[in-house]
Amino acid sequence: MSVLLLEGSGLAAALPGSEWERLTQDDPFEGRAIEAVRRGDPASYDYLVSKYSKRVVSIAWGIVRNAHDAEDLAQEAFVKAFQSIGRFKEGEPFGPWIYRIVTNLALDVVKHRSRFRHEELSEMEPAARRDDAELGAVTSELASRIDRALESLPENQRVVARLYLVEQFDHGEIASMMNLSEGTVRSHLSLARKKLKEQLADLYGGSDD
Amino acid sequence: MTEEKFFERLRDDARSLRYEGDDFLAARLAARVRDRITRPPTVAQFLAAWARPLAASLAALVLSVTLSLTWTQRHQDSNETIASNPIDIAMAGELYGVGD
Repeated sequence: MSVLLLEGSGLAAALPGSEWERLTQDDPFEGRAIEAVRRGDPASYDYLVSKYSKRVVSIAWGIVRNAHDAEDLAQEAFVKAFQSIGRFKEGEPFGPWIYRIVTNLALDVVKHRSRFRHEELSEMEPAARRDDAELGAVTSELASRIDRALESLPENQRVVARLYLVEQFDHGEIASMMNLSEGTVRSHLSLARKKLKEQLADLYGGSDD
Repeated sequence: MTEEKFFERLRDDARSLRYEGDDFLAARLAARVRDRITRPPTVAQFLAAWARPLAASLAALVLSVTLSLTWTQRHQDSNETIASNPIDIAMAGELYGVGD
């Protein structure tokens, strides 16, 4: 994980002009909070946790599909980021760093689950391999259909599609968060798009509107 | 509908699937993180941070001393074996003794 944290410090340079970078530049409090934490003021970390907590939990939840696990992962990600804040470069956005940490922690949990459950569940459909989803966020029939379609995808396609469609990250941001190349992300998305279009044809297909 | 257009519309609709949690999520998480980062280290954490590396160093030291003593002991035994079993070597008509 230490490699992950160190690599995170170079993330902004890899994403020039990204939404993350603009958001950070628009928020002078974020830079001040990071500087204060680095100078030994842990109370200033509250600002960063409060600012990013919902998004971080949402990313984790989309991958592990369990609210308790998602909150635990978010907590762990924030603690890890705090412990490595000394390596964080001045002026860099905090968002990509914490998103990357939580994504990797969540992917580790999913891998860990599948290792232990592989034999008994290998014959089941992908959606059945996961814990029961907590669908509190799903408020409509349309959203419910999209959610089920996303959950039916193979693991990598599912995670990439969720980050792109639900969390609204772009290809480069997803590549950084998942330690994949942009080409691989596009490939996963392309395959996911075909499958999703088939499954949701009655909702989106046909007309050219 | 083209695949690109389908995906654009799907992206608009899928935004609502983002997990929001309850109203206290941010406050609860901030409190949990604050508790973790300001809590003084427990005895177990202290031991994990200091005692384990110390124990590993001591173990390495004990191992190297043991190996040195064993090697010295064997070397000594081998010398004693030669000394207690003199060997006579005949060469060019002369008799030489080893270990006397």
